[in-house]
Amino acid sequence: MLQIIKNEWRFLARSRIFLGISFAFASILLVSIFLGFYQTKKQEQTHKNAKDHVRQQWVSIDEMNPHSAAHYGTYVFKPANLLSSLDEGVNSVTGNVLRVEGHVQNEIIHSEASQMQSISRFGKLKPSLLLQYIVPLLLIFLAFNSVSSEKQSGRLKLLFLQGAKPLQIILSKTFSVWLYGVLLLIFVVIVYGILHIDSITTEILTRTGIFFLSYALYYFIISGLTVFFSARWQNATLALTSMLGIWIIWTIFLPNILMSSSEKWHPLPSRNEFQSAMKEDRSKGLDGHNPKDKRGLELKEKVLKEYGVDSLSQLPINFDGMRMQADEEYGNSVWDKHFGNNRNVLQKQKQSFQLGGIVNPFISLQNTSMGLMASDNLHHQEFLLQVENYRRVFIKMLNDKQTYGGSKTGNWSWKEDNAFFKSVPDFDYKPTKLSKIIPNYLLDIALLAFWSILVILLIRFGTKKIEIV
Amino acid sequence: MRPLNIFLYEWKHFSCSPFKIVAVLLFIVASIYGLHNGADLYKKQNSEIERLNKKSELEKETIVSYFENGEKGPKNRPWVDNTKPFWAIWNTPTHHYKMPSPAIVYNIGQTEQYGFYKSIKTNSSPYDSDMAKEIANPERIQSGALDFSFVVLFLLPLLLLVLLYNIKGSEAEQGFLPLIFVQTGSKNWWIISRTVFYTILVVLVLLCLLAYGAVLTNISMTDNVIWNIFFWTILYLLLWATIYFLILKSGINTVSNTLQMIGIWLLFAFIIPAAIQQWIAIEKPTNLMIAIIDAKRDKTDNIYAQSDKAIDEQLFELFPSLKQTDMAKDSIRIKRARRNSMEALINIAMKDATSSLEKDNQSKNELISKTYWFNPITFFQNKLNHLSKTHYNDYQEYRNEIQDLVNKRTKIMVLDIWNDVKVDQTKYLEYYKEFSNAE
Repeated sequence: MLQIIKNEWRFLARSRIFLGISFAFASILLVSIFLGFYQTKKQEQTHKNAKDHVRQQWVSIDEMNPHSAAHYGTYVFKPANLLSSLDEGVNSVTGNVLRVEGHVQNEIIHSEASQMQSISRFGKLKPSLLLQYIVPLLLIFLAFNSVSSEKQSGRLKLLFLQGAKPLQIILSKTFSVWLYGVLLLIFVVIVYGILHIDSITTEILTRTGIFFLSYALYYFIISGLTVFFSARWQNATLALTSMLGIWIIWTIFLPNILMSSSEKWHPLPSRNEFQSAMKEDRSKGLDGHNPKDKRGLELKEKVLKEYGVDSLSQLPINFDGMRMQADEEYGNSVWDKHFGNNRNVLQKQKQSFQLGGIVNPFISLQNTSMGLMASDNLHHQEFLLQVENYRRVFIKMLNDKQTYGGSKTGNWSWKEDNAFFKSVPDFDYKPTKLSKIIPNYLLDIALLAFWSILVILLIRFGTKKIEIV
Repeated sequence: MRPLNIFLYEWKHFSCSPFKIVAVLLFIVASIYGLHNGADLYKKQNSEIERLNKKSELEKETIVSYFENGEKGPKNRPWVDNTKPFWAIWNTPTHHYKMPSPAIVYNIGQTEQYGFYKSIKTNSSPYDSDMAKEIANPERIQSGALDFSFVVLFLLPLLLLVLLYNIKGSEAEQGFLPLIFVQTGSKNWWIISRTVFYTILVVLVLLCLLAYGAVLTNISMTDNVIWNIFFWTILYLLLWATIYFLILKSGINTVSNTLQMIGIWLLFAFIIPAAIQQWIAIEKPTNLMIAIIDAKRDKTDNIYAQSDKAIDEQLFELFPSLKQTDMAKDSIRIKRARRNSMEALINIAMKDATSSLEKDNQSKNELISKTYWFNPITFFQNKLNHLSKTHYNDYQEYRNEIQDLVNKRTKIMVLDIWNDVKVDQTKYLEYYKEFSNAE
């Protein structure tokens, strides 16, 4: 078997067309990695400048009432990550700027895609675009006549006479084509590694390792199927057109249809429905800005009782801050309920889409690729959750200062000094750990493995009686 | 051999080729699915707009009821006084919509990148948080909706490829190509006739699909937009038919022709647009809206921190008639009028900030447009986006309308405050009507 693989590669190495295409393609891959790297660096710089600018505004507050500061709020910018230079995932369509303030949880806005007219339906020239769409085609072109050409030239008969078995020949041909895809993958990973040598961590290595594995499995599926068709069909053209048909259905047709359908099977509420439901639930709680609010009055009675005083003016604390925080906490529970529902729907959509991997391994590849490169919706949701958690800490700090900072109820002109505002921590994004989210991708990896086994079985049982001429 | 005979032979060839028939059927299924996606979005947006209109109507009725009952506002908010222009305008519900074009059935375009309704206040801006797009799965948006334009732009070249790939190559492989040349007299004429046959077949399919789409959103077949879409679709089809014809004409065999055809398709559909998008992202990185943030914070703070004299000067420059009002001469009442008019100055600062952002976006668009000559898919995509009113510029126009409404609202508010206008039910309804009109 090894000998057949060696012969295949010797034959390929003699082909100038093959060498030319490989050189050209490796160059495009190299360019895409460099551009991805350069773009990420530039994006990181833009992000850092914006973050520093907004932070500077915050720490420059000389003096301000803490609750006014909660309205002044801050802004969080979605950070770029190193991995997304390999697969950008959803980053260009999700927003980039999120306003963090009291009373309200804003939506992330200003996506890259909304800032210009349409360009590419398949994203930027990232290595993932080439690895997902173009490399499989190259493998198909390499493999479609690998057996049929042997049949036509009569070499297949000769190989059988020399003792080679059909299974050995087909598997060897498959591995030799697959190896080409794997070499391109290794090339991408090595160049990426060299460019990011200073930032490589175990987390990045593990993610890249599984990324590599999922692509390797997909390439095996494509190579195996093409060689199988090449062995089974009477001529090379039929093998090529069959595989091109499969490629079109798998990569262009089905992902779009399945994604659109899963959104219909598990519909999300419209923005207005969602906001109205939030507003309605919120109205059942306490209005932090309205001293005459019924629930606010109940809280007042409770606090007066706790402190053993008759009026707000006798309280050693500022009740306004306490009422604001009670309002926040109620609002938080409303957010948890409604955003939790949305996240559940998105999770169901994702699961339905993942099941599409049963008929289309490309879906599993896409999911693992952007998931492992931390650029899928799951990572985006994790980011939003971290921002919301930060918002809660941020606002609570301000409300607590208003309550316990030394001011009295109703004293809205009371101000905190600059030292306090400097002490309020900035948002610090903690990249989601792979160990936390890996269960979400196990199905995709399992389906890729399932397809690989299926292809082996197809080759094993489907090529027993191949015609040798 | 006359073209009619070539067509008849080709029809026989086509009807005996299950692979080609399945390809046409798949194309039709995908198109119908795409048309329904577009029609669903059209209906969804319209029903959402209807719902918001009802909500606005209800809010208006609530305020009207205060006037009818001789109340100034809700009892639990005693500071609200709807007889004053400031509060009456604050409480006039106004939504501005980007009405979906029925042609959205053919092309969803950039619709899902933007919000299509906006609540207008005096402190609104076209870049507010409530301009966020509809809640949707970003992974689906990233992969793009499967609409009719997707089918046309990406699957149509593939369909044509499937229909044409073995022309000449198949005959050459079977060894009867010289015989055909003898019979037809001209090699080119024979390839052209066969290519034209399939092109006509696709044109007929497209025409039926366009008619089907028209039924879904009730566009009249006499509507120009349908024929414009048809025209550009046919032009796109001809582009691919020509490219494929040239490949077939100079091709050696089926496999080589297929590889060249798919290679060109990959170049135009994937590599070129993706490379341009990457280049634009590097050349003009995503704007993080710092200018707008600054306008909302620093510039707003600066406006409030100004002396009364400086504020008055700016207000009088903006609305010269204010200087002549009684309010301007009343040193007590002017304080409240001035405070309630600050929004007008903030609006100017916001407009400056958004215009710099829009210039930035415009320069990105100009860069993209310059690549059209070697990037046909992006060109046709944006052409279709224009026709279905789902292009970036259509949303820019929508943002401009929002800004105009904010300007109008601010202006009326400031003038009415300074002229001490008393708001009654009639005046309130006048506001309601006036603010809803983007003209």
